[in-house]
Amino acid sequence: MAYSEKVIDHYENPRNVGSLDKNDPQVATGMVGAPACGDVMKLQLKISDDGIIEDAKFKTYGCGSAIASSSLVTEWVKGKSIDEAAEIKNTAIAEELALPPVKIHCSILAEDAIKAAIEDYRTKNND
Amino acid sequence: MNYFQLFGLVNQFDIDLANLSTIYQTLQKQAHPDRFAHASSQEQLIAVQKSTEINDAYQTLKSPLLRAQYMLELRGVDMPSEQASFGDVSFLMRQMELRELLAEIKFANDTDAAIFEASVVFETEFEQLFNQLQVQLTENTTESNAQACDNVRKLKFYQKLQVELDKLEDALLDD
Repeated sequence: MAYSEKVIDHYENPRNVGSLDKNDPQVATGMVGAPACGDVMKLQLKISDDGIIEDAKFKTYGCGSAIASSSLVTEWVKGKSIDEAAEIKNTAIAEELALPPVKIHCSILAEDAIKAAIEDYRTKNND
Repeated sequence: MNYFQLFGLVNQFDIDLANLSTIYQTLQKQAHPDRFAHASSQEQLIAVQKSTEINDAYQTLKSPLLRAQYMLELRGVDMPSEQASFGDVSFLMRQMELRELLAEIKFANDTDAAIFEASVVFETEFEQLFNQLQVQLTENTTESNAQACDNVRKLKFYQKLQVELDKLEDALLDD
């Protein structure tokens, strides 16, 4: 199966790979996995007091499409408010990367990772 | 007729694989499309369908994870879609660690030993979940079936780790 140029670009030059300090109260972590392919994705967001995403890092073990989806998402969420980030849909990710139908679940995983990170942020800040 | 009935087996998780294989061969011989070479096209079609069904049943019953999943389906347990994300954080953290362990193998001084160590870790954790699954399936309550469902999904991550380890081993052998 041929990957689109955008997927290859993100796969070969992934943006924002790495970790943020998970003990930092401003850092939210979203962990998701896909049983179908065994992919594991970690997305971390550094969120300012006024709810703006200042930084994003990811670590993904999976196929090229999963890596590209998470890499793209870190670019997209930076500078957005958490409410705006929560609006990002997997269809937009899949469209941007021209993912074939069998790889749509990779974009779903990336969307779910954003949601999981935001939920982690809300849990952390309500305590 | 479900797959267990098709093979004349009791609907339970523990299966004698040698026996399963014998039954499979007998059934396949009976339904083999060649035996229907002179039959009507209708009968030939039925024979092909039967043969496919026997094959599907065999592949499902042979694999412990597919068998578990099939048993849960028969019990009417609502399995989340294959594509649905899994969100058990501590489990996924552990998966990340195991993936890192896998990624570090190629930098080890003794890669053979590192591969062996990783395979022991994967197997031990797989076995632990697998034994739980066995108990949960036998218990067959709403709660235990839900847990079994969860464990099937977890075990798939270990299957993937094993595939990755095998790939790595092949790649290192080629060097």
